[in-house]
Amino acid sequence: MKEEQSKPAPEYLLGSPEQQSWMKKYFFSPRGLGFLEPGIVGLDDAKMSAYNVAKSSYQIRPDVFNMNYLSKTVGLGKEEIIQRMQRMYEQRTIVFVMNPAVSVYGWGLYYWMVKLNENTPPEAKAELSEWFQNKDDICTGYECQGDFDFYNGNHMRVIDNLLYDVLEPWKNRPEVKYVHLCPIRRDLRESHVNQFDCPGDGYREVLWGPGQIEKLAQVQDKLDLTDLKIIQALNAKRPMEDFFDFKVLAEVSGLDEKAMLDGIKELVEVKRIIVPLFHLNFMKLDLTNRMFVIRLFQNIPCCRKAEISDELSAIKEFNTVKEFSDSFYDIILWAYNEITDIPALRAKLNSYSEIEEIKEADMTRMYRRWVCRLDDQNGYWEECVFTDDFLQDRTQPGGPECTIRKGAK
Amino acid sequence: MKIDAPRKYVIDNLKHFLNPSSIAVVGASRYPAKVGYKVIQGLKDWGYRGEIYPVNPRADKVHGLTAYKTITDIPGPVDLVFVAVPAHLVKMTLEHAVAKKAKIVVIATSAFKEIGRGDLQDRLTQYCRDNKLPLFGPNLVGMGSPYLNFNCGFIPYLPIKGPVAMISQSGANLLAALGNSTTMHFGMSFFVGLGNKADVDFSELIEYGNTDPHTKSLAIYIEGLDSPTAFVKACTSVVPNKPIVVIKVGGSEIGVKAAFAHTASENEGTSDAFYDQLFEQCGVIRATTFQEFLDISLALGLQPELKGDCVAMITNGGGSGLLSCDHFERLGQPMQELSSISPDLGLRIRTYMPMFGSPLNPVDISGTASPVHYKGALRQAMRDPNVDMVYCSICPTAVTDVPGVVDVAIEMYEAYKPLGKPFVMECQGGAECLEAIIRLRDHGIPAYATPEQAVNAIVALRKYSKIKEKFSKKK
Repeated sequence: MKEEQSKPAPEYLLGSPEQQSWMKKYFFSPRGLGFLEPGIVGLDDAKMSAYNVAKSSYQIRPDVFNMNYLSKTVGLGKEEIIQRMQRMYEQRTIVFVMNPAVSVYGWGLYYWMVKLNENTPPEAKAELSEWFQNKDDICTGYECQGDFDFYNGNHMRVIDNLLYDVLEPWKNRPEVKYVHLCPIRRDLRESHVNQFDCPGDGYREVLWGPGQIEKLAQVQDKLDLTDLKIIQALNAKRPMEDFFDFKVLAEVSGLDEKAMLDGIKELVEVKRIIVPLFHLNFMKLDLTNRMFVIRLFQNIPCCRKAEISDELSAIKEFNTVKEFSDSFYDIILWAYNEITDIPALRAKLNSYSEIEEIKEADMTRMYRRWVCRLDDQNGYWEECVFTDDFLQDRTQPGGPECTIRKGAK
Repeated sequence: MKIDAPRKYVIDNLKHFLNPSSIAVVGASRYPAKVGYKVIQGLKDWGYRGEIYPVNPRADKVHGLTAYKTITDIPGPVDLVFVAVPAHLVKMTLEHAVAKKAKIVVIATSAFKEIGRGDLQDRLTQYCRDNKLPLFGPNLVGMGSPYLNFNCGFIPYLPIKGPVAMISQSGANLLAALGNSTTMHFGMSFFVGLGNKADVDFSELIEYGNTDPHTKSLAIYIEGLDSPTAFVKACTSVVPNKPIVVIKVGGSEIGVKAAFAHTASENEGTSDAFYDQLFEQCGVIRATTFQEFLDISLALGLQPELKGDCVAMITNGGGSGLLSCDHFERLGQPMQELSSISPDLGLRIRTYMPMFGSPLNPVDISGTASPVHYKGALRQAMRDPNVDMVYCSICPTAVTDVPGVVDVAIEMYEAYKPLGKPFVMECQGGAECLEAIIRLRDHGIPAYATPEQAVNAIVALRKYSKIKEKFSKKK
């Protein structure tokens, strides 16, 4: 990894030709700002059928994915790939999910960091952890050890609902030192897959650092190199024709092959509002993620902040890269401890003179992967619980609220 | 999809419909707010004693029961498959159900013909027919029977035991009836939501109702008839034994579209007159409002048919009597004066009323009537061979002993039941009347809160007598 010097902010003034040129390079996706953007479809829309059929059936029909493509890419017979995928699913090491471009759906994507006081009893942390695990509005969340103790996220339309319903119940407990909101401004990469806001033409590219895959095959005993190559191939950027097997999708569902292809192609490739991908459940592999949360000096211009996010996203070892706005903190980056040169990454980050502070913590438990529960230990593996606070006012006692709550197994 | 007549293999398999020895719940969920959770919860809570097999490839256990990836992974036989997965998984589920040799499949899932996927619905239906697997639904709420402690679906109530089989295309209206059953003691023998009724048709359930020993009347809520010929055949064969009440909705200009969007019911090209004629042809009684639908099906389930027009009304309120006789006339069955029914009856009843009472018909035994007065008047009317039925009304005043009158009514009803005359009651007023209605219904007496409801019920009892006579002759 080659260290880079910090750069001056791009030279432009609002309204100048340079700004226009900047805009061409840094075109931000439309933001829903509480309402749907035109062209958005519901997650159960017919255009989502290919994804929905695959999501509902891949557990018993892995061949909903394009085995011709996978076989050719990985160099294995289809049957072996199917068997390996079934084993990986049974091991709970992989789960098929999707990322919707939440902002164009009108949600804010609010992450928040929680730090507990020193000497907080472990049982107090465990109690909070269970609450976060079972709070359905927390669509993605993590328990951590290090400079902070939790890092959780909600997609919500109303900030008040977040404050009153999700944070209020516990944030004034004596063991809580601070809660910092980290609203997402740009989602550049998740689960090794570039997202809607990544720079250039990198959308849906899959990134692993050099040698990471090989190292991963060595540091755990559940997945071998072939398995990992299958996972890489499953996520590889390719046309939807090669992603799913539409004949199998039609066979499973009775729906029209062409309509399913056209629908998902439009959403993933043209509108770019859905990214289907396989999430690697690192918990089952005894891996931990190192999270770097970066605060820039407050006199850094916004345009430079975006540039820094982009530069850091070029580092393939980071499996997740997001940029915050309206927050104490500005960027978050993750990399697996066990297969990454963490000191080198830290040194790289420290080479940026724009960075004022870096907080670090290791993620030891992941509650959900975007509404999909991962807590196999509680019997809720892949229970998908979608919440939406549309039309809800959770500041009022007795008002309407999400009816989906923790219940019996 | 259309059928020409009730199919034997369907009727044969219907015995597994309400009394399956094992049920696979496909889409069984671990989350309480999801349908797939409620189905198993309902089965357990209401006392189902057969095997329950949750099917969910993501879960190891659901409701503490071992979960299976597919129906074909279930070790034992499966009688009934309840499907609560998204529409796009139904095809695969049906294939598994056929492979497992299931006897019945019930599909709660929506998003078929009602949203324009008629072709998919038809293909799945044809697949089931090719494999002789009766399919209920899709787009239904569930079914059950209080006699079998069976509540299968996402239904919050099990009705009280009673005589009415409720067959409904609408889940919401079925639930309304079930709710009414628990609060107003509208007793049911079994209930079923049919939804889009892609395969199993009204006609087959009508035939099933005919064989069910607990069913005394059938109440059918219809949004559209795909197979009128089969409907006519089934009704024609059943009405000599059991009365059938229907309510047909979706006849208004905008209702045609609403019925399609709701349960994919096609009413284009039909009219209310068409249905009137069809129902007349097959001997079913048509109700206009949902309340009337409930009221008359209860009366027909609880009481024998009314064989003549001589109805004697005993009341302590002249007002309820007037509302009643006007409504009788509106419905084409005017009341007759007591003297024309039985010349001496008025005189005999006079003994049980003050001098300001009226021995006409309605017989007004006055607002001061006690249980003793009611008992005497009721006994006289019931025993009179010229009286075809007795209709009794309670209008509580400050001196009315409502529970006492109810006791007397029950006693008289039980005493003269062997005479085979219908007995209907009306009790209009406050909370004591609600309690009275419930108690009377618990004793098999159809009781109502308004005179018009009671009169509707009586007129239906008379209509059924004529229908029975006509269709028994045909048979």
